[in-house]
Amino acid sequence: MKKTNLKITLIVFLLASFLKIQAYPTPDNNLFTFYMEKVSVEKVFSQIEETSKYRFLFDSSEGSFKKQVTINIENKNIFDVLSVLLKDIDISYSIKGRQVILIKEHIKSPKAFQNNLKTETQVVQQSVSGTVLDNLGQPMPGTNVLEKGTKNGTLTDFDGNFSIVVAEDAVLIVSYLGFKTKEVAVNSQKNINISLEEDSQQLSEVVVTAMGISREKKSLGYATQEVSGENVNNVPTDNVVNALSGKVAGVQIKTNTNLGGSSNVVIRGNTSLTGNNQALFVVDGVPINNSNFNSNTQQTGGGGFDYGNLASDINPNDIKSINILKGAAATALFGSRATNGAIIITTKNGAGAKNNPTVTINSSATVGFIDKSTWPKFQYEYGTGYGPLYGPNRNNFFNQRDVNGDGVQDLVTPATAYGSYGGPFNPSLQVYQWDSFYPESANYLKPTPWEAPKDKLISFFETPTTLSNSVSIAGGSEAANYRISYTKFDQEGILPNSNISRDNIAITTSFNVTDKLKASASANYIKTDALGRNKTGNETGANAGNVIASMRKYWAMNVGIQELKEAYFTSGSSVDPFMGGTIDNPYWTLYENYQNDTRDRIFGNVSLKYDFADWLNIEGRVSLDTYSFFQEERMNEGSAGAVGLYVRNNINFTEMNYDFMVNFNKYVTNKLNISGVVGSNIRRNDFASIQASTNGGLVIPSLFSLSNSRNLPNAPEERLEKLGVDGVYGLASFGYDSTIYLDLTGRFDHSSTLPAQNSTYFYPSISTSFIFSNLIGDNKNFSFGKLRLNYAEVGSSAPANSLTDVLAKPTPFGAVPLYGVNSTKNNELLMPESTRSFEAGLELGLFENKLHIDMSLYKTNSKDQIMPVAISTATGYSSKYVNAGEIENKGVEVAISGTVVSSKIFTWDVNLNWAKNKSEVISLFEGGTNLQLGAISGGVTINATVGEPYGTIQGRDFIYVDGQKLINQQTGEYERTTTSGNVIGNITPDWNGGISNSIKYKNISLSFLIDIQKGGDVFTTDIATGNRSGLYNYSVGLNDLGNPIRNSLIDGGGIILDGVAPNGTVNTVRTAMDTYRNAIGSIKSPNAAFVYDASYVKLREVSLRYTLPKIDFLDKTNIKSVRVGLVGSNLWIIHKNLPFSDPESGVSSGNLQGFQNGAYPLTRQVGLNVQLQF
Amino acid sequence: MKNFFIISSIILFLSCSTDLESLNVDQKNATSAPADAFFNLAVKNMSDLLSGITYGATANPWNSSRLLVQQISSVTYNEGTTYFIEFNWNSVYQNVLINLKKSTDVLENAKASSDPTLQNKLAILEIMQVYTYSKLVESFGNIPYSEALDVNNITPKYDDAETIYIDLLNRLSAAINNLDESQTSWKQDIMYSGNVTNWKKFGKSLQLQMGMRIVDSNLQLATKTITEAIPGVFSSNEDNAKLLHLSSPPNTAELWTDLAVGNRKDYVGAKPFVNLLNALKDPRKTVYFQPVNGEYVGSPSGLVVNYNNYSKFGEIFYQPTTPVIFLDYASVEFFLAEAAERNIGSVNDPEAHYNAAIKASFEYYGVGESIDVYLAQQEVAYATASGSWQQKIATQKWLALFNQSPEGYTEWRRMDYPTLNAPPDSFINTVPVRFRYPISEQTLNSENYQSAASAIGGDLMTSKLFWDKN
Repeated sequence: MKKTNLKITLIVFLLASFLKIQAYPTPDNNLFTFYMEKVSVEKVFSQIEETSKYRFLFDSSEGSFKKQVTINIENKNIFDVLSVLLKDIDISYSIKGRQVILIKEHIKSPKAFQNNLKTETQVVQQSVSGTVLDNLGQPMPGTNVLEKGTKNGTLTDFDGNFSIVVAEDAVLIVSYLGFKTKEVAVNSQKNINISLEEDSQQLSEVVVTAMGISREKKSLGYATQEVSGENVNNVPTDNVVNALSGKVAGVQIKTNTNLGGSSNVVIRGNTSLTGNNQALFVVDGVPINNSNFNSNTQQTGGGGFDYGNLASDINPNDIKSINILKGAAATALFGSRATNGAIIITTKNGAGAKNNPTVTINSSATVGFIDKSTWPKFQYEYGTGYGPLYGPNRNNFFNQRDVNGDGVQDLVTPATAYGSYGGPFNPSLQVYQWDSFYPESANYLKPTPWEAPKDKLISFFETPTTLSNSVSIAGGSEAANYRISYTKFDQEGILPNSNISRDNIAITTSFNVTDKLKASASANYIKTDALGRNKTGNETGANAGNVIASMRKYWAMNVGIQELKEAYFTSGSSVDPFMGGTIDNPYWTLYENYQNDTRDRIFGNVSLKYDFADWLNIEGRVSLDTYSFFQEERMNEGSAGAVGLYVRNNINFTEMNYDFMVNFNKYVTNKLNISGVVGSNIRRNDFASIQASTNGGLVIPSLFSLSNSRNLPNAPEERLEKLGVDGVYGLASFGYDSTIYLDLTGRFDHSSTLPAQNSTYFYPSISTSFIFSNLIGDNKNFSFGKLRLNYAEVGSSAPANSLTDVLAKPTPFGAVPLYGVNSTKNNELLMPESTRSFEAGLELGLFENKLHIDMSLYKTNSKDQIMPVAISTATGYSSKYVNAGEIENKGVEVAISGTVVSSKIFTWDVNLNWAKNKSEVISLFEGGTNLQLGAISGGVTINATVGEPYGTIQGRDFIYVDGQKLINQQTGEYERTTTSGNVIGNITPDWNGGISNSIKYKNISLSFLIDIQKGGDVFTTDIATGNRSGLYNYSVGLNDLGNPIRNSLIDGGGIILDGVAPNGTVNTVRTAMDTYRNAIGSIKSPNAAFVYDASYVKLREVSLRYTLPKIDFLDKTNIKSVRVGLVGSNLWIIHKNLPFSDPESGVSSGNLQGFQNGAYPLTRQVGLNVQLQF
Repeated sequence: MKNFFIISSIILFLSCSTDLESLNVDQKNATSAPADAFFNLAVKNMSDLLSGITYGATANPWNSSRLLVQQISSVTYNEGTTYFIEFNWNSVYQNVLINLKKSTDVLENAKASSDPTLQNKLAILEIMQVYTYSKLVESFGNIPYSEALDVNNITPKYDDAETIYIDLLNRLSAAINNLDESQTSWKQDIMYSGNVTNWKKFGKSLQLQMGMRIVDSNLQLATKTITEAIPGVFSSNEDNAKLLHLSSPPNTAELWTDLAVGNRKDYVGAKPFVNLLNALKDPRKTVYFQPVNGEYVGSPSGLVVNYNNYSKFGEIFYQPTTPVIFLDYASVEFFLAEAAERNIGSVNDPEAHYNAAIKASFEYYGVGESIDVYLAQQEVAYATASGSWQQKIATQKWLALFNQSPEGYTEWRRMDYPTLNAPPDSFINTVPVRFRYPISEQTLNSENYQSAASAIGGDLMTSKLFWDKN
């Protein structure tokens, strides 16, 4: 045997270590084989700890443990090992489950096994009893309770209860694997309840990586970050994605403010120019489809419903932990689908509950309040109109007409105007307004005073409520365990007639069929029903009708929202026009032109694992994710500017994955461990949809069925896409001396979506982990240090059906069939895309791990992207699929966690995440410098521009003179570029960060999360058009001369814009503010005037929880623990630069971000949470 | 043992993996279709392009024509009326020309079948291509032509406008000669129901139109072309090249879609046009427009006005089935009047053709009974109306081509009557005489765009095209 400088040699075969699916393996199976020469006893303990589940509890100041030993063991169990090791040492031991308790012996006779340790100290004794709970308030059976400085100890029973006789001034040391050890002073108390906190810093942490493979975190050469289930359940949410915001470095979440809306989740920047950039979701090994079914029109703000992102089906209540795999190396085994990173979710199971079932009931109720900083400050001084453009001489704010037939001209509002550049309110004016012209109105054919309405627009919103109730039962035995749960989630939106409800049913179980064969299964059923999902984007246009857009952009300020409510409910009609003429009464829109949808989804898996030998097992797994999604959209007859319409869309999706894996783990020499996986994955996706709609209106109003179509309905639109990927992969992991690890992976993919000659491709990765702290030796202030390095390549294939051209099939012209050439030219010669990534990382544990720092640096280049590029339309096509373009993402991520205070009754932990991603579009197609990703309103586009970060906002810019905005010296208006191709912003933030604090005082815990985004721009159509329409408070009032701004220039009105004359002198020319064609609105201002910094600092989550102390009453009711909490989310936007709305608000998830059109206000959610455990 | 599992897993993998590509077949969409289907779609799409209307900033080449030639004004949004417009030819190449080419390709690939109707079908496709390309050249000048419609050449060069026009005339002449009236043609033809004689008349009338278009720039070719055309042109409204739309969306008239479906309150008659109708007591005003308090009132172009105070489109345009005219008999008669004045093609008696043209227009719009009274008016009668013959013909063409604004605008540019002025605060201070190239060409076909722009004297709305000599 070769000598090494570490003098330690250890070989351990640990049966379950290859695939640690089961959380708590039975230690009895462990057989040790090792040889160690001249090492301390302590060192042997720590080696056993590293290679097995055993944990040693001992007083390290005791000299006996420093004793040098030489030990040679072959296939011995723990008792034999300890017998040999402690042969000449006066230490006795006790083994409780996985805990090995070592106590200095007075009587030198080590025993093989002791069930109880009896105290031999003779001081004033008292009996103490109590319960040990985890941070969720669940009892913790099998926890060690030890009187400090003695060998007096006990274990908690299945209910977490313990009872021990100790000295009055004793200190109890309470410990459990995976939890922070706690010292509790007895102080003569008879009853002590102790709650243990999970030790997320634990360095031998096991995490679930790609393909469901469990690995020791320290061996990984790439960045991962874990979020506990509790941490995502702080506040009830309808979308698990939202619960990750600010909690993980490098994960950029953009939540939406609309009911059931889609949330965007991008890890380490956009790697695809036009394709999917969302992270892959995997629940217990099942890849979960996270599509959104929002139309292109919807995603560019043109209007339509936000159907949400489908990962929102995942029940946050069932989540045990989430591990985020950030880079390509981490996800290499998943293949191309996880190029954008992966969110690996492990759900709760019954393991550890043993045969005493635990029933948990968890209820939350929240109510919401509009955050007024995300709603405009409207002016209530001027009513509808475009300016003084009416009347016989075109100089009045009102039309003139003899309404009552008395021969005198009456004033009539110009109700066809969009906006409020009309007459100043003056209650002495009697005006025939919109409500003078519908027969059911109290003011029918009567004029009313020209004044502000009684109710402000904000009174339109209803109080949103969320109810979430769940019950779960977990239990099991040594050989089997189970967990079943049911969650009912109900949410009422801020809009009238809008709600979402969701039922989640889940069952997971695993059992040992024989000693060697283990079976497990999980099944989840989710039913989601939505009524009145929110319309986003435009107020008018095909399928538009976002009532918020009409309020923010065009509202007639003389019209009261409650009057409209009354008008709708008394007349049953839209009562159009109250403004514009193509905008419906909001109540009509919400009660007549609503949608509903229902989704039934099942996902789950079955798996079998067989242990061939102690170093080899095989596993087969079949997983399924399938849903049917039924959507109905409506437009009733009587809507402004549209005929009736009914659209139904049936979507069916199924993904099957067949996985087969061979796992091995073997020490080839006494220091070198080789482990790995060889596996295959067969994946099949089927997508089918059929969309049908009425044609030309509805025969009978309010009857929404295809057969009620006025004209023969057009043929339904059918889509059928099948996709298959077959992969073979391998992972070889070399571990040397528990200090250096090297992982090599490779994967062959055969994809159905590429031409046969290019459809098979290979990509490798290499990653290393070097725990350099092992070389430095023990140091109190420097406890852990690890360096990571990796390189990975990932290949990706094309979307389904993008090789061969198919024809467009327009509706036949009567009996004459029509066919046409599609505008996108497919490409039969596509090749796989490739992504290459480098990553380096450093992990440090300082000050006894009270401070833990994890840093990563990465660079990812994605090239040969499969994308449709725009080509000259003189080719007959607008775009063509090519392999082209490259985008680079570079970034830094820092995650710091630290314990600020840790005392017996008070702890304060702080977690900080910070990440900066810098993307750059390196090249596009054939020398092109700009790729338009989407056109939003007003000529503004979102683009990938060479040399710029992904997502430039382009439009008309100011013209600058020495950095000052140039002002036209005749009109006083901004000069602007004639072209729309100027970069006026970028959607990508400079950095994102989050700071979470967790403070505990006795039974009370308080946690709060501050979520920060710095930079990134947002273009707001709302303010552009709102300014044009004169809706906001700054469009009224007095100017620098003391005159009303809205006066004509001749009457001393108008404002002086900030800028310069062509010669560089400060602008002094006043510009008129008396019509909708004013200088600050969308008509005259450059688009750049409406680009705002999207930075924010938000108090994202707050929870205050109190665990009831143990009281007799509860015992009688069988209630083991009660925890109540006050929770809140989005309570306070501490800082933002975008007026009147939430900078995060958008219309949809996807690549088109950075603009707002009809943004919904943010709601502050406040609620109560109660958790009971039986 | 280990090897066994690795090998078995690879075998398992391979056994599943063969023929994976067969999944990637679109089972719901066709990859091929009969030639008629592409042809009819092209005709239908062209109809939509010729007849739509927009007030907005981005227009297909022709749906702002009604505003440019000041027959119509938009009351609220005035990008269109004040020339803040970007033109976009995407729909012409993508919706019309590529489908005509596809139809031709399908027929030519099937040539071996020796279908007796093949020659006629190909000739009809040629006529439609010539029609479409001529409209593009008349709008933009130099355009991608010889290298167009080839997806493997994504930066097609622009050809000289006049060279294209001459080539189009040659193609048209050949196509007309290839039409064999003893054979049938398309079984399904939404324009002429496969009637070869009608197509031949349309070809000849198009030849007359194109010949007259270049009369100021190339008199010799114009004379030859017009002379060749005249014997076979339209002889009544029965011959008109027009598409009768259906009542059921989406095959309704595009103007109806733009006016009635959106229920927008945007378009009213333009002041110069309505004023002239009023001045001439033109009965077509009752068809073209709706009265306001019994009066026909036109809106000043480019100003924001109250929609309800001005005359909106007439009732017939609020019908989904209103036909879209590609070329009509009235136009042919106007051309013949002009040919008579110019002594081309042995035509004489310009007044008779002038009267026949106006009569054709009146009859088409159902006011034929008023024709004699109308023609007798001093300001209408050919002998007494003021101005040159060009002015008389151009003025009446302007009135007749109300629902054929692309042609109305082109003829207004060629004949320069009536006098139209740009609205105040317009993008340019004269009425545009050319459409600017699509913005996308500046980035996607930059080099060719630049050389084309310089070849025609700048990519401007004021650059006169080769045939527009005065």
